[in-house]
This record gives sequence, C-alpha cells and structure tokens, in this order.
Amino acid sequence: MIPRWARDGRVLVGLVLLAGVLAVALLAPLLAGMAPDEQDLLATLLPASWQEGGDAAHWLGTDSLGRDVFARLLYGARVALTVAAIAAPGAMIAGTLAALLAGYLGGWFDWLVGRAVDVWMSFPPVILSLILMVGLGTGTRNVIFAIMLVDWTRFCRVLRAEVLVVARRDYVTAAGLVGFGHLRILVREVFPAIVPLLITLLTLEMGIAVVVEAILSFVGLGVKPDEVAWGQMIADGRSTIYQAPFNLLAPVVAIFVTVAGFNLLGDGLRRSLDVRLLEGRG
Amino acid sequence: MLLPFARRLAAVGPILLVVSLLLFAALRLLPVDPAAMSMPPTATKVEIEAARQAMGLDRPVVEQYAIWLGQTLHGDFGTSIHMRRPVGGLLLETLPATIELSVAAMIVAGMLGIGGGLALFALRNRRGEAVAELTTTLMMSIPEFLWALLFIFLFGVLLSALPFTGRLDPGMTRPVVTGFLLLDALLVGRPDIYASALRHLLLPAAALGIAFAPPVMRVLRTSLVDVYQEDYIRQARLRGVGELRILLLHALKNAILPTLTLMGVQFGFLFGGSLLVEVIYAYPGMGNLMVDAVRNADLPIIQAVGLTYCVVVLAITSAVDALVLLLNPRLRA
Repeated sequence: MIPRWARDGRVLVGLVLLAGVLAVALLAPLLAGMAPDEQDLLATLLPASWQEGGDAAHWLGTDSLGRDVFARLLYGARVALTVAAIAAPGAMIAGTLAALLAGYLGGWFDWLVGRAVDVWMSFPPVILSLILMVGLGTGTRNVIFAIMLVDWTRFCRVLRAEVLVVARRDYVTAAGLVGFGHLRILVREVFPAIVPLLITLLTLEMGIAVVVEAILSFVGLGVKPDEVAWGQMIADGRSTIYQAPFNLLAPVVAIFVTVAGFNLLGDGLRRSLDVRLLEGRG
Repeated sequence: MLLPFARRLAAVGPILLVVSLLLFAALRLLPVDPAAMSMPPTATKVEIEAARQAMGLDRPVVEQYAIWLGQTLHGDFGTSIHMRRPVGGLLLETLPATIELSVAAMIVAGMLGIGGGLALFALRNRRGEAVAELTTTLMMSIPEFLWALLFIFLFGVLLSALPFTGRLDPGMTRPVVTGFLLLDALLVGRPDIYASALRHLLLPAAALGIAFAPPVMRVLRTSLVDVYQEDYIRQARLRGVGELRILLLHALKNAILPTLTLMGVQFGFLFGGSLLVEVIYAYPGMGNLMVDAVRNADLPIIQAVGLTYCVVVLAITSAVDALVLLLNPRLRA
C-alpha cells in the first residue's frame, strides 16, 4: 500500500531531483575526473567544450584560475546538501522546542519567545546572517550555525500558533485530567499533531538553507576560500560573464534544481498531508 | 483614528533597543582588532594602543555600548575605519538609492502579484490551473539573486538590451538634490539623466520584484476564492452585474486586504533582499556599503547600516499593520 503523499506528482518529481543532486554529490570524485581546486593558469576562462576554443577535457570550461567548472559544480553539491541537511533540522529543533514550550506553558515564557521572534523579524534575514558571519568568521560550520540562529523563528512563529490550537483540544485537556505530566502531554499528545506541518516546514527550510549558503559564499562570507561552493562560482562567474558564461550559468541552474526539488517536495507534502501553512519567504 | 499608529509605535521602541544591543554584542565577538586595522601596517604598538583609546575600545563593553547608543541617538554614527568618512554622510548617500530600488521593485511585485493572482483565480477549476500552480511553485524556487543573474545574462549579455552596472551611464554626473536619482533628474531638468537612471533601474527592480510576486499571487487567489463564497457576490450576479465587474469592483475590494498585509511583510523582506541585488548590479546603495564594510570589518558602518535596515523594516511593518486596521473596520474593536 503506497501512502497518499507518495502518489503526489510534486513529491515524486521533488524526490527525483533531490536524489539526482545527492547522487552527484556522493559520486563527485568519480564523475568529475579531476580535482575541483586543480588550477591551470595557462587555460583560464575556457568556454564550454562544444563552443569555439573549448577543450574536450573541460566540459563546461574553466574559471578565472583555470579550475574545471564541471568538477566544481559537482563538488559544490556536497557543501550545499551538507548545509541543508544539518542547518535545517537544527533550526527546526530549536524553533519547535521554543514553540512547544511557549504555546503549552504560556505565561512569561510565551511572552519572552514572542518578543524574541519580534526582534528577529525586524532584521532582514540576509542582514542578520551577514552580521552573524562577521562575528563568527567564515567556514561551513559557521554557515550552518548562522542559518540555525537566523531561521529558528520560521518554525517557531508558525508552530506556536498551531500548538496554541492543539493544546486547547479536548483530548489534551483529557490527558491532563487523567493525570499525565506536562512532558508526557507535550511529547505524546501535542507533538504528534504538529508533525505534518513540521515535515513540510523542514523541507522548505532545506531549500532556504541552500540559498543562504550560496548567498553567503557569493559575498565571500560563506565557506572558506579553499572549499568549493556554488556561491563562490557565481562570484567568479559574475566578473567574467562575457568570457565564460557557463561559469555563472551552471551554478545558477544547480541552485535552482536543488531548491525546486525541496520546494516541490514541500508543496506536495503540504497538499497531501493537508496542513495549514503560512506562506512567506525572505 | 491615530490610536493604532500610536500603539505600534510604543511597541517598536523596546524592539529597537534590543536590536541595537544584539547588533553590538554580535560584533564584539569579532576576532579582529578594529584599531589595528585602521592603522597602516608600519604602525607601532604604541600608536595602535593610542588609536584603540581614541576609539574607546579599551573601556568596558557596557560603557562602549552606552557611548555608541548615545551618539547614535544624536545622529552621530561615528567615522568609517576603512573609508575615514563620517558614517552618517555615507548613509545619507546610499539610503535613498536603496529606497528607490526597493520601491520600484515593490511596484513590480505588486503589479505581477495582483495581475498573476487575478490570472490564477480566472484559471481555477480549468485545465490550465495545474500548469499555473506549478509555475508559481517553480518561480518560488528562484530567489532574487538568481533572478538578478538570469536577467543580466538574458537582457544584459545575450540581448544587450539594458545596462546592468551602476545607476547611470559612464560619463554622466549624478545631480544631488534629494538623493533620489529619478526625482533629482527631474528637479534639475535633465531628461537624458532621467532616462539613463530609469534604464539602469529596470533590471535590478524587475529581478527583486519578480522574486516576491508569487506569494502575493497565491494569497490573492485564495482570498478571492473565499470572497466568492459570500452572499453579496451571488446577489450581484442575480442583479445582472457582469462577471468582470463583479471581480474587479465587488470582490477585489474585499480580497485585497490580506494581500496588502502580505505585501507589507514582503516589503520588509524585499528591502533586505535588495542587498544582494545591489551587489550583483554594482548598484551604489546601502547593500553594497554593508558588504564592503563586512569585508573590511568596518564596525561603525556595519552597526549603523544594520540598524538602519531594522528601522526601515520596523517602520514598514508598523505602518502596514496600522493601515490594515484603518482599512478593515472588522479588526477595530
């Protein structure tokens, strides 16, 4: 018996796209044929192999340091997926804990979480992550940390409203009357009710994490210079757009495919799990 | 009448205070020494120490915060470490540029969002609906900085139709009256400058605007569907009012409110998103100022620009909240 969500067309397409990106990331050393940081200063800014002046050894051409664009594209998927796979669940855990406790306990804790969300919301996310990266310094680990620190509110905002509704349902009150403790009620009664919403939000957040990593690396505040990321490729490609267009286009398409995969998956899950979802981005 | 505005304003003060505290705290984690960075590499330890004292960096952090906050409230944002110019002046130069870009982008987002929302609604329960919805999902997968790059590639490089660097053609000097270039060009009576500025604004504004249009489309479609359930629409139909007239004059008026609320929130995000679009188009606004400052660890600029972004976002969201209250009598109690 195939569950309903697995039969949704969007879910399937999203999963296929993401499986493709994951396979590319895992098999990068086999597929690339050369190291992503191998410089060839005699062959900088080569066009793609099928264009005039292209070299068959560099399928998508080379960047301003003579590094293979195709190899960098494949290895870039590793950083993007690593960040998505760690930062998004991290933000989810922090935001969910805050939302569960705020919505269930109410009182001063709810007030505190509410004001924290207000403060966070007054920072445009890009600005907040930039400032955090200035404080933390570059590197993949700090990118992940910054995304968690910025995006926990995305989960908290939506989930808190949901917890408020769930916590007032009769079966939760009944559980309290039977004498269940707070922790047991939260974990066994309230939490399962918000899981569908949580899964959808997590999927969308993974797409956001990919974008934020690319943005930070583009600005030069993301991964370290010796790591390979799509955002760095874009920064290099932007300044050499006339000579080597694929240096710019390849990572742009890669980001789009990855984010579209997450968004299609999230959109499909939202429909088939039938949850209310606030739409917003930034 | 003015009560909602006053209430929002009262809530904004404490938020700003905490924001300023967070900004200050985050930047004190910085592993670099701004005093040493402001000096030439040949400076001696004594000279660096003197600079540190002059900047107040030798005092306790709490005192540094108090001094910074006091000066900021008096409109003194300090002096840039890297550029050696007052930060206030830099802000005055770049903020109008960023506002001009954001407002232009918001106009694009509003037109695309409302037009697209009406189109999505018109397609409901028809064959094209699935395709249209898929298109909006895919559009939402393209953040503003990817649109910006795609537009450069398409309109700038392939078609060579529009410029994609800066605000004016090379060789033109920028008239400075208000700082808003389109306005200034008109004020000094230079249609050629106006045309050039407009051409330079088109791509960045379109890239920023299109990224924020899909959520507007979806919310407008949903609220139109809701409004069409109401009796007065049926009444209008029974009275023989035409469908187009019902949609544009009767339904849209009520369906637009949630859309306006969303657009207010979106404008806050859009204002922050302008940073990347500015960097990609080498557009001399606050975003580029911020990114340069970040690269040079120029603390006074980072703090001032960060705070300015927050002030603008809070001002926008507060104004929209209050406006929605004024427009919707049902929310006023």
